[in-house]
Amino acid sequence: MSRVYERLSTAILEGDAEKAPKLVERGLEQGLVPKDILDNGLVPGMNEVGVRFKAGDMFVPEVLMSADAMQASLKVLRPELVASGAKLIGKIVMGTVKGDLHDIGKNLVGMMCEGAGFEVIDLGFNVDPEKFIDAIKEHQPDIVGMSALLTTTMRAMALTIRAIQEAGLRDQVKIMIGGAPVDAEFAERIGADGYGSNGPAGSDLAKKFVGAA
Amino acid sequence: MPSPEGLPVVVISCQVLQDVLKRLLPEGLAREVIYMDYGLHQVPSRMSGTLQETIDSFEQPSLIVLGYGLCGNGLRGLRAGKHTLLVPRVDDCIALLLGSHRSYIREFESVPGTYYLSKGWLESGSHPLKEYNEYVPKYGPEQAMWIMDQQYQHYERLILVAHDQADMEEYRPQAQEIARFCERWGMRYEERLGSDRYVRRLIELVMSAVKDTGILQDQVNGDFLIIPPGGEIRQEQFIR
Repeated sequence: MSRVYERLSTAILEGDAEKAPKLVERGLEQGLVPKDILDNGLVPGMNEVGVRFKAGDMFVPEVLMSADAMQASLKVLRPELVASGAKLIGKIVMGTVKGDLHDIGKNLVGMMCEGAGFEVIDLGFNVDPEKFIDAIKEHQPDIVGMSALLTTTMRAMALTIRAIQEAGLRDQVKIMIGGAPVDAEFAERIGADGYGSNGPAGSDLAKKFVGAA
Repeated sequence: MPSPEGLPVVVISCQVLQDVLKRLLPEGLAREVIYMDYGLHQVPSRMSGTLQETIDSFEQPSLIVLGYGLCGNGLRGLRAGKHTLLVPRVDDCIALLLGSHRSYIREFESVPGTYYLSKGWLESGSHPLKEYNEYVPKYGPEQAMWIMDQQYQHYERLILVAHDQADMEEYRPQAQEIARFCERWGMRYEERLGSDRYVRRLIELVMSAVKDTGILQDQVNGDFLIIPPGGEIRQEQFIR
């Protein structure tokens, strides 16, 4: 496997937003397949970020810088992914739930999902259940993603799912949730279809939902 | 529930509540009072490990009072072991500082994007200005500010919560300095006289529990959680 992959993973992990996109360019020049650059270089880097953050070995500033390096790399890689025939694999509507304005995690999941080939409709933060419902009607997504950072706001996820159910839309979407206070057990309890523990895990779950994993 | 009557009382609390506990805890009520570093708040997964070790370090079955809320799931999964645990049923210390769960929810619903400051938090915790000053040597001023922007750009309000006018006046200059820094994100500054009512009720409960355990049981599902020996703290116990 090309050394570029490994160096790219390291650049993402170190949050080097200058080096990472240059390494993507180098990989492309060497004739590496765009999708391989994503799957073998960028994604493993972000996976490691997720693992270290959870263990408390990395903090929010470092994660933000890694996300920034990832974003800069995807900017270079995305046109190549499209040109190489990568199709959109699905549509996701996502937002941070009502009462919560923390969007770093949600943005990370959004970025990883876009990288993986999803069309992402980002509803932002402090999103009312009604806004989720309107977006489902308007965009007809395959997946709805919800995020919350606070234990105070995670219950808004349950309320949003109930509202989607009452609007008769529950069966047409898969629902995934994420955020510091929630886990798979909580997801099951509130009737979500799955939980992602970090950005890459969120996009893996989304891929599974559309049968692209 | 086995009777905690006559059990020695141990208090394990976040440093943030040190001041109010020192003022309100009657002499001799607790056999031991341990204040934990507020930094545990940063990594909730480590918080439970450290708290568990502290709980387990007591040989004699005790009534252990935890000066914490759910704190980002930091208390989740804590096992009582041979002890009885008593915990305020709150998300974090803000409800404890404001005096009730309802006051917290009222503030929360009016402006979700609120950053709270208090004496304890200013002395032992962190705040945006302190964070920025810690980031600068590590990342340089420009990158440091970018990181700050990512974290705080959607916040709308900064509130200083003090228990009395004297504290308010003492901590106002520092809070206002932070408020000036936070104006960058359009955050406005407000002050609230909090209340030690919640902590006072916690202590009253401990005092009565030492005499009559029936009182403890009555509090389950109210503003406090009682975890009997062998029990475990679960996230859903805090949801109300």
